[in-house]
Amino acid sequence: MIATGRQDARAAIIATLLVALGVALLPTGSYLAYLLVWLAVATVAALSGIAPTQLARRALVALPFVVAALPLLFTRSDEIIWSGAIGGASLSVSGSGLRIILTTALKAWISVQVALILVTRYPIESIVSSLRALNLPDTIATSAGLTIRYLDLLRSEATRMLRARSSRSASPLGESRERAGGSIPWRARVTGNLAGALFLRAYARAARVEEAATARGARGSLSFGGLQQTDPRILPKTILALVAFAAIGVAGALLPRF
Amino acid sequence: MRPTLHIPDGFLAPEVSIALWVVTAAVIAVALRRISTDLNKAPARTVLMGIAGAFIFAAQMFNFPVAAGTSGHLLGGVLAGVLLGPWAGSIVMATVIGIQALLFQDGGLLVLGANIFNMGVIGTLGGSLIARATSEVLGGGRKGQFVGVGFAAWLSVMAAAGLTTLQLGLSGTTDIGIGLPAMLGTHALIGVGEALITIGAIGFISASAPDILSARDSTKGASTSRRIALGSVIAVITVGLASLFASASPDGLERVAEDLGFLDQAEGPAFELFSDYTIPGLDGTASTIAAGVAGVAIVVIILLLLGRIAARRRSA
Repeated sequence: MIATGRQDARAAIIATLLVALGVALLPTGSYLAYLLVWLAVATVAALSGIAPTQLARRALVALPFVVAALPLLFTRSDEIIWSGAIGGASLSVSGSGLRIILTTALKAWISVQVALILVTRYPIESIVSSLRALNLPDTIATSAGLTIRYLDLLRSEATRMLRARSSRSASPLGESRERAGGSIPWRARVTGNLAGALFLRAYARAARVEEAATARGARGSLSFGGLQQTDPRILPKTILALVAFAAIGVAGALLPRF
Repeated sequence: MRPTLHIPDGFLAPEVSIALWVVTAAVIAVALRRISTDLNKAPARTVLMGIAGAFIFAAQMFNFPVAAGTSGHLLGGVLAGVLLGPWAGSIVMATVIGIQALLFQDGGLLVLGANIFNMGVIGTLGGSLIARATSEVLGGGRKGQFVGVGFAAWLSVMAAAGLTTLQLGLSGTTDIGIGLPAMLGTHALIGVGEALITIGAIGFISASAPDILSARDSTKGASTSRRIALGSVIAVITVGLASLFASASPDGLERVAEDLGFLDQAEGPAFELFSDYTIPGLDGTASTIAAGVAGVAIVVIILLLLGRIAARRRSA
């Protein structure tokens, strides 16, 4: 293993949060502003070596949440764009409701792409170390670092337990009436027992890890080491990029809205 | 697809996101101070907290089939709080929610404060305090603990769903009248799954490694006065949530009915005890408050009766 410091992601983290804030501040219905901001984000992605199309597709993950905004289509009573009767009940669709839904979906979609650039470009360990350097409390940083370190281990442990459960409660092929397992509360309890068993394994592991760490002189927190910055001119570059982004956003917001 | 309470970026107004970041940061700061004395005594706690965070991630993979493609899941907020203590548990949930946002884009970064507030602060810290209080009201013991844990787990899911909807409503991205009953309605069932899984997990752990839990939870019941005080607090919270649901639900339905044009066909119920949440003979605000107090009193009486029954069972 090569002993190196973590990559310094501080500038990227702050820029990501500021850009996400900027996207959240874009006015409702300024579709041209969203187009311009998205083009800027796609350009940054391309410059970071991430394919913008792939980014755009991965960012669709946030869109199911739009369901929460759907009632606005029918509850807002301004700018009725369609009203009619369905099965004897009258229904009206509001233009302003539709605009809020579309704008919210665009905001969520662009914000996820901004966050994706950060986490694709920097390993999660570097992000945690950089957050530690940005005054994230030691307890949280250590806890997060250990969670990330043991994530794969405990997830594959859980996968093995789920596989064991399904092998023991298989229902014969074609016998759809022969349901495996008991009532729903019974299944819930068995699932809870699995979680309990997994916690005991995690607890025992924590005790072993703690013993080993103490034996080597650890004092209860991870060592985050120094941060490595490969770009000496990161600060002026970041400020320039943020100013350019703000200019694009403001210009877009001044363009006609629909 | 599982229903999620992780709000993505873009759904909350910036002022709502920032206000909740401030509140969450303050609560987490208090939590860090509360556990710092523990940490000095035993540095093992950070290791346990970190690995417990990975455990919560993994435990969220556990599901069980309910019906027609739907399944029950675990969010794990109350479980983390009961296993690690309210303060350490809320810090663990906060890191889990943060890592979910970073690694899996499950929830946004700007709205992370809101997501931690809903699931980590209210769900874990509030939830495990309610679990402990309910268990004390019921006279402690195994049964009291299970009822407390189950009730708190259900309540934590409902509270997170309700808060999420209110925050969306404040930001103008949903209609509270329709959104609140819809969210609370679906999460009432999801919460039952959460409660059953959490009870199953606590039951397994208390049976196979009782020392892990007994170190933290008092097994004996509280004094009568403490029990009444705790019972009242739980009742106020429960009634508050229930009245939120009740006041939103008819409005939402009336709104839909109005929009759909069949309000005229609606008829009042044949018998009403507190018509429109007011008491006959009183008017306006006084009446609503009186109805609320009466509701709290009824719940306190029920809880006290339950506590007495539990105590009698225990001594018998």
